Amino acid sequence: MTTASADRDPVMILLEAAASGGAGWPQLYPGSRPFGYFCSYWPEELILSLGREPLRLLPPAAAGVPARLPAYCCLPARACLAAGEAKEYDFLAGAGFAHTCDTIQCLAGIWPHRHTFMFVPPVTMDSPEAGTYFKAELERLWRRLAETAGVQSDAHQLQRAVVLMNRIRSLAGQLDELRPQLPSPLVAALMRAGQLMPRAAYAASLEAALPALAVKADGVGERRRLLISGSILENDGLYVMLEELGARVVADDTCTGYRHFAGLVNERAEPLAGIAARYAARPPCPCRHQYLEARLDYLLALARRRSAEGVVLVVRKYCDPHAWDAAAAGDRLREAGVPVLVLEMETSTPGGQERTRLQAFLECL
Amino acid sequence: MAKERRYLPLRSTRYLGRTMQRYYLLTRYQRLWGRPLKRPLAWVTSGAPVEILRALRIDPVYPENYGAICGARRVAPELCRAAEAAGYSPDLCSYARAGIGAILRPDLAPMGGLPRPDLLVTCNNICGTVLKWYEALARRFNVPLFILDTPFVTGELKQHTVDYVLEQLRGLVGGLERLTGRRLKPADLQKCISLSNEAVRLWGEIRNLCRHRPSPLNTPDLFVHMAPIVVLRGTAGAVAYYRRLYDEVKERVRAGQAAVAGERYRLLWDNIAIWYQLFRFYHLFSERGACFVTDTYTGGWAAGLAPGDPLESLARTYTAIFLNRSVDFRVRQMVDLIRDYEVDGFVMHSNRSCKPYSLVQEEIRRRVMNETGVPGLLVEADMTDARVYAEEPVRNRVQAFLETLEMTV
Ligand code: SF4
Ligand code: SF4
Repeated sequence: MTTASADRDPVMILLEAAASGGAGWPQLYPGSRPFGYFCSYWPEELILSLGREPLRLLPPAAAGVPARLPAYCCLPARACLAAGEAKEYDFLAGAGFAHTCDTIQCLAGIWPHRHTFMFVPPVTMDSPEAGTYFKAELERLWRRLAETAGVQSDAHQLQRAVVLMNRIRSLAGQLDELRPQLPSPLVAALMRAGQLMPRAAYAASLEAALPALAVKADGVGERRRLLISGSILENDGLYVMLEELGARVVADDTCTGYRHFAGLVNERAEPLAGIAARYAARPPCPCRHQYLEARLDYLLALARRRSAEGVVLVVRKYCDPHAWDAAAAGDRLREAGVPVLVLEMETSTPGGQERTRLQAFLECL
Repeated sequence: MAKERRYLPLRSTRYLGRTMQRYYLLTRYQRLWGRPLKRPLAWVTSGAPVEILRALRIDPVYPENYGAICGARRVAPELCRAAEAAGYSPDLCSYARAGIGAILRPDLAPMGGLPRPDLLVTCNNICGTVLKWYEALARRFNVPLFILDTPFVTGELKQHTVDYVLEQLRGLVGGLERLTGRRLKPADLQKCISLSNEAVRLWGEIRNLCRHRPSPLNTPDLFVHMAPIVVLRGTAGAVAYYRRLYDEVKERVRAGQAAVAGERYRLLWDNIAIWYQLFRFYHLFSERGACFVTDTYTGGWAAGLAPGDPLESLARTYTAIFLNRSVDFRVRQMVDLIRDYEVDGFVMHSNRSCKPYSLVQEEIRRRVMNETGVPGLLVEADMTDARVYAEEPVRNRVQAFLETLEMTV
């Protein structure tokens, strides 16, 4: 990879990838044709095993209005479709959708690309039959991806991809441990980079960056300690604003943040079964059901473990799964004495209204 | 003068009123008569395999049907407001919001709300909402929640998907057996399936009768008369009801009677009804001689259970329903309906509440228009929350559409 050369500051390499938002891939990493995917339930290992790089598709900042989705659809889906309709994703080798919410189901159905794949993980993750189904669904997906790519699916390559992704997840875990002591926008960007650049280069850069980051770590100080939970945050706007307002994100449960990396695949297990098992055990997103209170228990435990003084539940406008959970999680956390702010945002760049609400919330802590 | 008798009422409507009243009366007092008979009461989604419940003498209640009632009686906005005040976003499905509002404010709710459930059964073959909605109900009522996960069908239904659903159905049977203390008798299940199939067959035939010119029914008739196929599925009551309705509709066909007098245009409807506008909105069409001869929504209850192993048949049927299918499937379905019912135009209700139904409609509209040459109109509304209904723009769009039809048909 051209930009991952040893003499460049690894943090800069990562920030450059994060700032590119994925759209800059052809310029940053010429010569590789990535495969786009939409959700952290999409098994990146399968793409890597076939010699392709997975690239998470995040809503571009200046997307137009898509012709084929109504205004009452979340912006991540609308902006991505607008970019797709404007042929901005033509550099991709294909696009993959993991079935999560109704919106993703619909977006996959109208995605303007020939090589579009949807795979459907189980919703209830807690039964043996779900595991069997999940593995069969992964097998089928792997086969179809390999056929389209015109290559053989190879168990050895898959195992190597598992090892690489596990390494990335462990490194992201170390970064997440440092989170309370580092500026929140920096951590958010470094995590996002892991979804937007070639994976081996990411692992190398993050590994090289961690010691320097650990030295930089300076403690939370007087800052208000917050947990943030939500779906997609395609830029650092919210994290920047929180720092400006004197807060620090000490724990993160966003879909583009730590939740993307949480949990490891058991390397001794058969790879597909291992991948399925990791998803089943991962902190769930609101679209999945482990047991009734799984997600709320997780959020409460996370808030306590990181001594969060308050929780901001970010709900993208028209995002049903997160809106549902915001009501339930809000009740549960408040009952446990943890202050909660449900922050509805259309874009992920907060404006004056969000600033006022966040400010008022922080003052109450 | 000639205008006012454009719409022909059905005699069966009175019988429908009695049937539904009886159902809701029995439901309302189920806590009194059901408990001594050890009959638990379940809240279930419209796509749940109710035959298993009925065979185990569990009485089902349908919050979605109740949501439609709240919509038709125009109390949904107030109930939704109550749910919103409790933290539920106004962008969530209005059946769910109205249902939660009815729990919070029984004083505002039709029939004082639904009776408290002993268990909840949700099946995600229609949407992701019903998972979250039923989780919310499970927390509120603190009763067992049974989830049937029917993976979205991207192309053809795959065997590993069927196996997964089948295994879950076995688990569901086991769970319900433990809960009721009864064993599921194969003969009882078979009986419920047969009754389901018979009602579904009759419902399908009633819909088929609308292929006639003029059509004996307008889709609002189907909306009104679909209630028993939802709430009484698997019972003799549903079969008796649809026999009677079938006879009446057949009689209309024989007599050449039109639902919309002077039928000029034959239309197809897509999506759930606009319940609070059931007569006003559809009148915009019928007053111009436009009859909705078929629709995609009520057709969802016209798919019978395949013969063979009952549980496998339930697994296949409940997984393969149209809302759990790809855009290609839904395009094909509409193209076929347009051909079979000789449709001149179609109207899609872009329903803010129901994202899986609605978000793909513009794509479907374009593809169906391309394939059939038949014009299609998209109108934005909500099935029960009248607050988002903008009457004037809708009326203008409908009029413009009908004028286009006038020129093309
Ligand atoms: S933001 Fe919400 S609705 Fe939109 S794609 Fe993500 S999970 Fe689905
Ligand atoms: S989202 Fe649609 S399918 Fe689901 S409960 Fe609401 S109206 Fe029914």
